[in-house]
Amino acid sequence: MSQFRVAGKGRVDTGRPVTFTFDGTSYKGAQGDTVASALLANGVHLMGRSFKYHRPRGAVAAGSEEPNALIGTRRGKGRFEPNTRATVQEIWQGLETTSQNKYPSLKWDIGAVNDAAYMLFSAGFYYKTFMWPKNFWHKVYEPFIRAAAGLGVSPTEEDPDHYASRYLHCDVLIVGAGPSGLAAARAAAVDGLKVVLVDENPEAGGTLLSEPQTQIDGKPAWDWLATEIEALKGLGVRVMTRTTAIGYYHQNMIGMVEKLTDHLPDLPADTPRERMWRVRAGQVVLAQGALEKPLVFHGNDRPGVMLAGSAQTYLNRYGVLVGKKPVVLTAHDSAWYAAFDLADAGARVQAIVDTRDTVRDDLLAAAQERGIKVKLGHTATGTTGRLRVNSLRVNPVKGDAVGAAYTIACDAVLMSGGWTPSLHLFSHTKGSLTWDDDLTTFLPKDTPEDCVIAGASRGLWGIEAALNDGAEKGREVAAALGKAPAELAYAVEADRPGTGTTHKELPTDRSPGKAKAFVDYQNDVTAKDLRLAVREGMRSIEHVKRYTTNGMATDQGKMSNINGLNIAADALGKKQPQVGLTTFRPPYTPTSFGAFAGYHRGEHFEVTRKTQIDGWAEENGAVFEPVGQWRRAWYFPKTGEDMETAVRRECVATRASLGVFDASTLGKIEVKGPDAVEFMNRMYTNPWTKLAPGRCRYGLLCGDDGFIRDDGVIGRLSEDCFHVTTTTGGAARVLNMMEDYLQTEWPELNVWLTSTTEQWSTVALNGPNAAKLLGSLVAGVDLTDEAFPHMSCVECTVAGMPARLFRISFTGEIGFEVNVPAPMGRKLWETLWEAGQQYDICAYGTETMHVLRAEKGYIIVGQDTDGTVTPYDAGMGWAVGKKKPDFVGMRGLARPDLVAPGRKQLVGLLSEDQSKLEEGAQIVFDPNQPLPMTMVGHVTSSYHSDAAGRPIALALVEGGHDKMGETVHIPMPDRTIAAKITSTIFVDPENARLKI
Amino acid sequence: MNAPISSFTPSVLAESAAARVSLAAPCARLSLRVRGDFAPLNTALGLTLPTRIGQRAQSGETQALCLGPDEWMLQAPETLAPGTQAACDEVYGTLPHSLVDVSGREVTFEISGPRAVDLLTLGMPRNPDSIAVGEGRRINFDGVTVLLWRDGESAFRMDVWHSFAPHVLHLLETGVRELAAEAA
Repeated sequence: MSQFRVAGKGRVDTGRPVTFTFDGTSYKGAQGDTVASALLANGVHLMGRSFKYHRPRGAVAAGSEEPNALIGTRRGKGRFEPNTRATVQEIWQGLETTSQNKYPSLKWDIGAVNDAAYMLFSAGFYYKTFMWPKNFWHKVYEPFIRAAAGLGVSPTEEDPDHYASRYLHCDVLIVGAGPSGLAAARAAAVDGLKVVLVDENPEAGGTLLSEPQTQIDGKPAWDWLATEIEALKGLGVRVMTRTTAIGYYHQNMIGMVEKLTDHLPDLPADTPRERMWRVRAGQVVLAQGALEKPLVFHGNDRPGVMLAGSAQTYLNRYGVLVGKKPVVLTAHDSAWYAAFDLADAGARVQAIVDTRDTVRDDLLAAAQERGIKVKLGHTATGTTGRLRVNSLRVNPVKGDAVGAAYTIACDAVLMSGGWTPSLHLFSHTKGSLTWDDDLTTFLPKDTPEDCVIAGASRGLWGIEAALNDGAEKGREVAAALGKAPAELAYAVEADRPGTGTTHKELPTDRSPGKAKAFVDYQNDVTAKDLRLAVREGMRSIEHVKRYTTNGMATDQGKMSNINGLNIAADALGKKQPQVGLTTFRPPYTPTSFGAFAGYHRGEHFEVTRKTQIDGWAEENGAVFEPVGQWRRAWYFPKTGEDMETAVRRECVATRASLGVFDASTLGKIEVKGPDAVEFMNRMYTNPWTKLAPGRCRYGLLCGDDGFIRDDGVIGRLSEDCFHVTTTTGGAARVLNMMEDYLQTEWPELNVWLTSTTEQWSTVALNGPNAAKLLGSLVAGVDLTDEAFPHMSCVECTVAGMPARLFRISFTGEIGFEVNVPAPMGRKLWETLWEAGQQYDICAYGTETMHVLRAEKGYIIVGQDTDGTVTPYDAGMGWAVGKKKPDFVGMRGLARPDLVAPGRKQLVGLLSEDQSKLEEGAQIVFDPNQPLPMTMVGHVTSSYHSDAAGRPIALALVEGGHDKMGETVHIPMPDRTIAAKITSTIFVDPENARLKI
Repeated sequence: MNAPISSFTPSVLAESAAARVSLAAPCARLSLRVRGDFAPLNTALGLTLPTRIGQRAQSGETQALCLGPDEWMLQAPETLAPGTQAACDEVYGTLPHSLVDVSGREVTFEISGPRAVDLLTLGMPRNPDSIAVGEGRRINFDGVTVLLWRDGESAFRMDVWHSFAPHVLHLLETGVRELAAEAA
């Protein structure tokens, strides 16, 4: 058995030894140990270096609040995690752990020179020191600070683990499975209520695990606990361990992270490492208990100085004596019991040093019984020992006078500055707090959520009080859910009631300005830093916090907040509530990114929508681009082709003979009902009344501000039915906008909208041979200009498939869009591909589509418009129905600014030097004007055009429509390009090519 | 392997001791929108359209699920669709409505097995208990809008638009494995 392991104590299984390594050295622990308890069992207190001064540090606590003992853990490739709390990480055979913030070794660390230079690193140090010269910030200061700061080392390899998430609905969620949580669960588990009891520890029990001497209802605490947990499970209570409630969100939504595999020697297949639970609870009982505060005195951070309650936990729960000659330093009764437990387990307790002048007689008697010296009315003023404490310096205090010092030799200092109720999750609810002068702490008051708080987390002390309060709170929530729970009462023997007093930093006979009396261990903030912050003008705790970084580390000030507040309040000469309390924010404890990401990583990161024809494109070498959630074929390079070559070939082939394009992603909406045409008139800028069934029209959609939102070709299939198309990215947005108007503005209209985007696979055929190819496959319509002119639509069959056929063109060539029920899309595509071989059919992607439309001056909403472009700005006044009584955007379009001269208008641009302009490039009228130049617009689209025989561009230019033929200038980094303003139509302005 | 799920043969897609996910055979799907006194449509459809959101009605092989105050999803064998369409068209004059064929829009996953409900909790923020057996809802599953039909305590159908189906199926497959590992 290890040197500091106590036979017969603890809940670990010493019969099942577990070997692990710490900084390369192999240690033996027991099944059930944490890294911290196992190291302590081996007499190892030094577990890390501090963040700023690189001071040697050991575990100061035994739970998730631990600020010091942060380690790296490794489990083979990719499974390295920094900043794991050694007090939480359970050991398993083969676990590798390493200390942090040290170089070259934990015992001899070069960064500790910071400690000697501590006077330089006072509060606000960064703000004061790294100000000048200004240009040093990026190159010198920031890299230095980043290298020196930070805890641990970021992992560099991809994480091979997977992470999960689930939703959980319950009637009652109880956070914390200590005495009050257990009793609340028992009280609430009535009449079929779904109760969930959650605890961050590997086993339920909370304080009971550290207080085995207690008898509950006549049973030893641990027997009672085992029976109670089984009974709760029997009542249907779901008990979840290793699960931390990290955040409390609106309407009783609680986020919880369950750790599933970090404690296992072998990783089971298909089991996630962590799971995020999103719990929606009818009622919540917060039973998070209380956290012990350190005492603030010079040298209170030396390895071996730890919380008395934690020492008691190490002994009773893990069977580990943290020292054989401990000294207890306390301001609270609770540490006396820790002293008694350690003494009874064989430690020679050197003394109990209490800051109070008087202490309960029974405590004094129990100390005397064990032969423990008692020093009342004392302060502590220092510790010695390089890597482990070996003495405590104490002084008697009379009134304000600090007497002569003497030292007590020891191998551990067990301190207690009293207890702080855990109000973290309560604070997340925006719960209000009230200051309690007697307890010198904040207590919970009101919360807007359906939530109660029980036991030590609302300032109660003792197991009996916690049990009975938990039972009452459990009844309260069950009653709120309409149940009539029975009354419960618990009788506890050998309970350990207690009180204490609260301190700012302890008084000293030495210069307080030189004391390294730590308040925040993790951020290395001392009492004098806080006082300096106040002297330098910080008045609110929020400012003191930011100036000193007190409470800003990953432990969120679980130990330091109240001590820091007491000191700041004292320095300001104000009461604590006037100085304020900083707000706790989720997560309660550090949480992995993996837990937040859950399943959303790798190929499941985000939805990737693919069309039915996507597979053909992939098989035929397409390069894809994302368009909204869709991935679309961008271009189809042949061997050796780059993008430009491929796109030029696709453009030429389409205009020469025949191109085929997957347009399935276009949004489609079926508008149906007797008022369909009225709805269309009100929604779109265009008039629709005279559009005959079987005909199509280009539709322009504005917002009520008069700016273009979307566009698309719309076919009237019958009097009462329109087939609307939208842009790919706008489909959902447009449908929502239409539904919004329909439901809120025009509920009297008898018309309904149905999304048919995915009902149809849409294949576009364009080129001089499009009608010839399609004509041979279509039944039910003659593809002639007479029978089926441009801008017609019909329901027919294509290659035997039921189809909606549109004769429309986004290229300026003879064009058709064939819609077939989506699952037939690939068959249609392959049929056309096969039949089109005689015309050298060419598959083209979105880039070619963009070029071909730009050659005809067709806009892309979102590229040539940016949310500030009206139909008139875009040169599409023709699409605005002048005789309509109203439409969405009509009033907006009448606003003075929208009819004022000098608006940016869409025009064509031809560079004088035949170069291709850069999209987004800014435009000026006078290239010789002084800097900064007045910018009058920008290039929106720019392509090389073989059809035009030169590069072409579209641009928004101030007053552009009245400047045809004029020259503008595009300043670029290397030169200024002159360009001529032209019409937006570069190819076939007479539309001769549309004729069959 | 990039074939759309709609091209798969109806079969089991993922299975473990915990749950099973299968692709259902294609069927006719009609989106119905109507308001007012829709007695004529009840006659045409041969069933009484349920009026509470989430309620279902069935007549023969035709099922209706109420999705909104004026919205239903109808499902029937493909062969029945033309007849249903024609019958509804008959009453359009007296009771205007919108009946849109969306058979091509989506696929249906059948989800069953002892942990089927838990499988749904991987992606569904809604409380499964709020969907009674014999009811259905339009829900969000892992960010995707789907229809969920609850046919039994642990038997569900989920209608998913084609382009979202691979994403949804991927999570269901992961869950089928994860839940089985949990039992082990």
